[in-house]
Formats: sequence, C-alpha cells, structure tokens
Amino acid sequence: MPQRAASNHVRLGLFVLVGVAILLVTLFLLGRQQNLFSRSLVVQADFRSVSGLLTGNNVRLGGIPVGTVRKIQILNDTTVRVAMNLNRDVQPFVRKNAVATIGTDGLVGNTIINLVASPGPAPAVQAGDVLRTKVPVGIEAILGTLDISNRNLVGITHNLREITGKLNGSTSVWQLLNDEQLPINVRHSLRNVETATAHLDAASRDVLALTRGVRRGKGPAGYLFTDTAFGGRLGHAARQLAGTSDTLAATIGTLKQQLRTEAGPLNTLLVDTAFGRNMRQTMQNVNEGTRGFSQNMEALKHNFLLRGYFRRQQKKQARAALEQGGDSSAAR
Amino acid sequence: MFENSLLDETGATAQFAGRFFREGFRPRYEVAEFLHQCYVVGYQSLPMVGITGFIMGMVLTLQSRPTMAQFGAESWIPTMVGLTIIREMGPIITGLIFAGKIGSSIGAELGSMRVTEQIDAMEVSGTNPFKYLVVTRVLATTLMLPVLTILADVIGLYASYLGINLKGVTTLALFVNNIFSSLTFGDVLPAVIKTFFFGFAVGIIGCYKGYHSNKGTEGVGQAANSAVVVSSLLIFVLDLLAVQITGLLGFN
Amino acid sequence: MSLTPPIIAPQAAPPAAGPATEVVLAVEHVSKSFGENHVLQDFSLALHKGENVVVLGKSGSGKSVLVKCIIGLLPPDAGTITVLGLDVATLDHEAMDRLRARVGFLFQSNALYDSMTVRENLLFPLRRHWLDHPPTQEDELVTQALEDVGLGHTAAMMPAELSGGMRKRIALARTLILRPDIILYDEPTTGLDPVTAREIDHLIREVQQKYGTTALIISHDMNCVRLTADRVALLVDGRCYAVGTYAELQSRDDPRVHEFFA
Repeated sequence: MPQRAASNHVRLGLFVLVGVAILLVTLFLLGRQQNLFSRSLVVQADFRSVSGLLTGNNVRLGGIPVGTVRKIQILNDTTVRVAMNLNRDVQPFVRKNAVATIGTDGLVGNTIINLVASPGPAPAVQAGDVLRTKVPVGIEAILGTLDISNRNLVGITHNLREITGKLNGSTSVWQLLNDEQLPINVRHSLRNVETATAHLDAASRDVLALTRGVRRGKGPAGYLFTDTAFGGRLGHAARQLAGTSDTLAATIGTLKQQLRTEAGPLNTLLVDTAFGRNMRQTMQNVNEGTRGFSQNMEALKHNFLLRGYFRRQQKKQARAALEQGGDSSAAR
Repeated sequence: MFENSLLDETGATAQFAGRFFREGFRPRYEVAEFLHQCYVVGYQSLPMVGITGFIMGMVLTLQSRPTMAQFGAESWIPTMVGLTIIREMGPIITGLIFAGKIGSSIGAELGSMRVTEQIDAMEVSGTNPFKYLVVTRVLATTLMLPVLTILADVIGLYASYLGINLKGVTTLALFVNNIFSSLTFGDVLPAVIKTFFFGFAVGIIGCYKGYHSNKGTEGVGQAANSAVVVSSLLIFVLDLLAVQITGLLGFN
Repeated sequence: MSLTPPIIAPQAAPPAAGPATEVVLAVEHVSKSFGENHVLQDFSLALHKGENVVVLGKSGSGKSVLVKCIIGLLPPDAGTITVLGLDVATLDHEAMDRLRARVGFLFQSNALYDSMTVRENLLFPLRRHWLDHPPTQEDELVTQALEDVGLGHTAAMMPAELSGGMRKRIALARTLILRPDIILYDEPTTGLDPVTAREIDHLIREVQQKYGTTALIISHDMNCVRLTADRVALLVDGRCYAVGTYAELQSRDDPRVHEFFA
C-alpha cells in the first residue's frame, strides 16, 4: 500500500467541499426563492382560465415577488383553483379583499399572478382564504375586440365610398348648387312680398278711416251699419284676407329658414330631380300670385274710392249702387 | 479489442458493470486507494476542466452578444448563458474533457497493468484487483465528475460575467440575480444528476477496456483509444436520455 | 489465520536434492483448452517438499498456463490440483487468499507496480495478506528481502529506474517477503542477458537452500534448467512426457527428449 501524502487528502477534501458547498448553496437559494424552506401561507383563488400558469410561477404584490404558485387544480369545467404560497412576511400587506389577476412578465415572459389591493379596509389574509379574481385583459381578448373594430371600419368606409359615388353621379345636386337663377328668384319673390304688405298696410289705413266715419255716424257708413247683411259680408271678406296674408307670411318664413339652414326637407329634396323644377315653378307661381294679389288690392282700393265718389254724388240711387259694390267685393 | 460485434461489446460491458455492482458494495473496501483515485481523478483534473469552463463561459457570452443585441435583449445574456451552462454546456463539456483525460488514462493504466501481469500479481497478493482497481476508479469518476462540473459551471459563469463586462457594465450582484431569477430546481438537479451517470460511464468504460486489454502494448493503445471514443459517445447518448427522462418527469 | 509461522521461524533447509518425503504440490490429469487450442491434456506432476522441479517445454506449449492453473488464476477444465494438501478448485476466495500467501509467484514480466516504489511494491503483498494483523516489523522484513536478492539500496526507487535484472530480483524479493512454502517461477530468465540470467539461477538456488522452499520453475532456457533443476519434467503436446534429473533426460535416446538437449 503506497503512502499518500497527507496534503493530498487535504486538497481533495477542499476540492470536494467547495463543490458540494456550491451545490448546496445554490439549491438553498433556489429553495428560498421557491419558498420551499421558509414557512409560508397558502391562499387560494378561482379563475376561469389561468392562461398557461405553471406550478412554481411567481406571485407578485405591487410588482414584488411575494410567493409562488403551489398547486393548480381544475374544480369544474369553468373554474380553476390556484393555491399560492405567500411569504409570511407579506401577510399583513395582503388584505382579504385583494384581487388576484393573471398576468405576464413582459410581453412574452412567464405567466404570473398579480395581487392588487382593493380600496376599503379589510383584515389581513389568513391561510386558506379564497381571494377574489378579475378576468384579465388577455392579449387574445384585445385582439378579438380589435377584429370587430376592424370589420366595422371596413363597413364604414364601404358606405362612405357608396355615398361619395352617388353624390358624384347625381346631376340634380350639382344643378341645384350651380343654379344661379334660384337665389335671384327668391330675392325677387321676397321683394314682391314686400310690396304686397305695403299695399296691405295702405288698405288697412283706409279701413281705419272708414271706421272713423262710421263712428261719426254720418254718410254712407251710417247706412252701412244699418244694413246687417252687408256688414256680415264685409266681415267675411276681411277674415279671408287676414287668413291669406297669415298663410303667406308663414310660408315665406319657412322658406327663408330653409334657405338659411339647409336642413330638414331640403336634404331629401336634393336627390329629387323633379323637385328642382317644381321649386322654380312654385317660386314663379308665388311671384305671380303675389303680383295678382297686389293688383287685386289696387282694384279694391279703387272700388272703395269710386264708391265713395258715387255716394257723395248719387244720393238717391244709393241702395242700388251699394248692392253693386257689395257684389263686386263679394266676388273678390 | 477483438473483432467483436457491437452487441458483444455492449453485453460484456454491461456484465462488467453488473460485476461492479455485485462486488463494489461488499467488503473489503479499498478506502485509501479510493481516496487516492479521487485525488487523481478529481483534484488533478481541476485545472484542465477549469480552463475549459472558463473559455466556454467567455465564448458563449461573446458569441451570443451580437445576436442578442439585434433583438435588443442584451440584458437577457446572463440568463441565457447561465441556463445554457448549467443545464447543458457545463455537464457535457466537462464530461467530454473528463472522458478524454481520465477515460484514456484509466484505459491505458489498467491496460498496461493487464499486459505486464500486474493485475494477476495483485490477485496472487491477496487482493481482489477488481475491487482494488476497478471499483475505486469507477466510484471516483462517478463522484468526482459532478464536483468538477459544478466547479466548471461556476468558473464558466464567472467568465461569462467577465465577458459581459468587456463590452458593457454589469454588477456581479445583478448578474447573479439575473441567473437565479430564471433558475429552478428543474434546471439544476437533472443537470447534476446526469453528471453522476456521465462519470460512471467514463469510469466503467475506461476500466472495462483496460481490464480486458490483452494484445500486448498494442492493446494498451487500443484500450486507451476506445475508452475515450466509447465513453464520449456514451455521454452523448446518456445526455439524450437525460433530456427525455427529465422531460417525461416534467422538469423541462 | 494460520499463516504466522513462515515469518517468524524459517524452516531449516532440507537436503538440496534428497529423496522426496512429502508431496506439497500435486497436479493430476489436468486439461485446459482455449477454444480449439488444447494446451494441457491430462497433465500430471508431483512436487516433493524442498525440491526444484523445472517444467521444460517449447514456447507456447502451455507452461505458463500450468502455473496459472496451480495458483488459481485460471481454472482447469478437468483434473485436480492439490497445493499444500488443499484442492485448489474447492477453495473459496478467502481460503484461496490464505493459500496464496504461502505460494509465491514470480511473473515472467515481473509485474512490479509501476506507480509504487520498490519498498511499496514489497509491502503490498505483505500488507494485503496480513491486513487483519499488520506485521510490526515491516522495515526489517523489507530490508531482509532486499538483502536476500542483493539490492538493499533500492528501497526508495521506482521500478522504472531499475534494469531488467534488478527488476527480476525485486520481483523475487516481493515473493520472498512472505516466506512462501512454494515458489512458482514463470520463465525467470527470459529476456535477460546470459550473465544476469546466471545470477538469477544462482539466486533461485540460494533461496531454495536458505529457506527450504519447494520450487516449480517454468523455462525453456537449458542453462537455467541445468543450474536450478533437481528434476526436470518435459511438457510435450500438453502432457508430461518425461520426468527425471537433468542428467537422466540428457542421456535418453528418445528423439522428442533429445531435441531439447541438443
């Protein structure tokens, strides 16, 4: 048996000790990292999906690792129960109302559990507690929503393209927009309306003068008041006149507003080729109507004046002349 | 050795390994010789293994940096290199170096002892040469390779740390934290356990080739050579097996 | 353990070549084959206490196989080998070790342990055989054994530093340190120059006379045979073809015997 130097044994011992010590320290550190050796607290949480969580994944509170996933088991077809080991040190900071969510460490990193504190006071968590959970915003869900949005966007742009196509193809809109006659006509009819109201004004002043004469009770007006049939006919005519002028004023007001706001029926009218023509026709009719009305008022004025003349000059034939004037006014 | 078929050799080697288990754990125990072999096999291999580990760690780091930089993932180099060394490169490189150094020396030593009748001489000197020569060496390689691997891992990781600091700054604490944060038992334990098998393979193959060498000095050379070749091959096969088994056990 | 006597009290040397009294080694009808190569076929030989018997045969005739069968390194296919009254085939490991402590073996290639010094080489069998009762006088035994072979100064040297003849002597010293009852010499002079070979031959004789050991010597060196043999056994075709003193065999007319002495 050869004699081996004792120093060889010392070196060998050192060599082995260092190697084994490194292994033991490594295993101890890993164990502490995974909470194998320290006393830990087991809490649970139920999820619908754990998104690939594995036993040993980290549990974080406020971004700090505070424990690891100890066990994952399926409770039923929609529930997965995850048991977590939490360090005893963090027990005071995890409240019973904390919410557990599944997350990932970075975009492509490990799946982890995040514990998020909820507002409101609650006692510290105890062993065996089941924490509330929140469905996480998974990348898949985000992508799903994005898909729907995209499909909607496709529909919207499709519709937009159709509208612009129609607008480009429609001649009536462009005609209407390009028609220089229209505003002139409108302006023209407005001027006619103005003259018509001026005449109305004059007519009503005449009526005023007439009623004054009546009040004095002299002349033909006195007689007029005695004749009840004539009075009723005159009231009727005056009422009709007022109604006509009211309608006209309303029509003009509406027309003005429509021109100013371009809202309401005008939009729907834009696509109607026939309407453009009708509109112009109508404006012309209105024009003519008001002109005719103006002439009628003129004639009425003359009628009254003539009749006043006749009264003063032919006193004896008053009733016959009055009947003739009443007929002519009624015909109006 | 002979023009034996692969199956013959495999069977004979397995029988040899079986004899190791039959005789290795019965008295008498050659403790002094075992310790001496541990010293030779383990301690005296440390410089070689250390240099290899150092270069391995340094090269892995420097080689992975350009690629990782392309992805902007330079901060992942410690994690990546750490896992690579601990899981795979450390055990396999150390195992191969070990096979080259120790496998060949065992094959040559036992081979020359066989042809110069030293093994017979031991037998007539009241010593079971199988226990005295084979069991001690196989036990020494089996137990020393894991230690060597762990030390090579540490040296390789330190070299990696130096390599990172060649082009950038990392503190040792951050480096170690980076590695430990991604390391699990599933990375360390299978890697350590498989080195026991690597060591056993190197020892048993070296001893078998040497113990059964019998063509004079030519046989000694053959024994040393085939010990290295076969044990290196066996290390790769075992490594593949280890990956599969750890995968089945769910450690991957 | 029944192994103490040889160390303490060497037996008185018996007459060098006297009539045999006690058979210490008997080989009876031993056969040994390696495949188709029948090395030993029905070989029989008996050694008496204190005599030197040389087995003479051609190279490759199975002489080494014979001694390896005797020491238990190879199991014979058939036949019995009785050493010091014990049937080798029936011995378990421990009994075989005890027997081997009383039977020295000098290997053809010396088989000195390269990794040990001369002293460690000598101590190896001593300590291994008496592991349970380590001898107290190790140093004296080593010195004695080395001086027996005339190499007292080499204790601290490594085998690689020694010449061929010196290595043979160290190997003999390693055998002698156990004070064996029987020594098996496997080609003790092969590979040595003639002068050294004669020194070894004389050493074999000296050992025989000093310690009274029985010796079985395998050789094809006729000078060795002439100098060391009390009796000569001829190994031809796996059989013990002829036995007799050197002079008897030399004078025989049998051509197969004669070709050895030509």
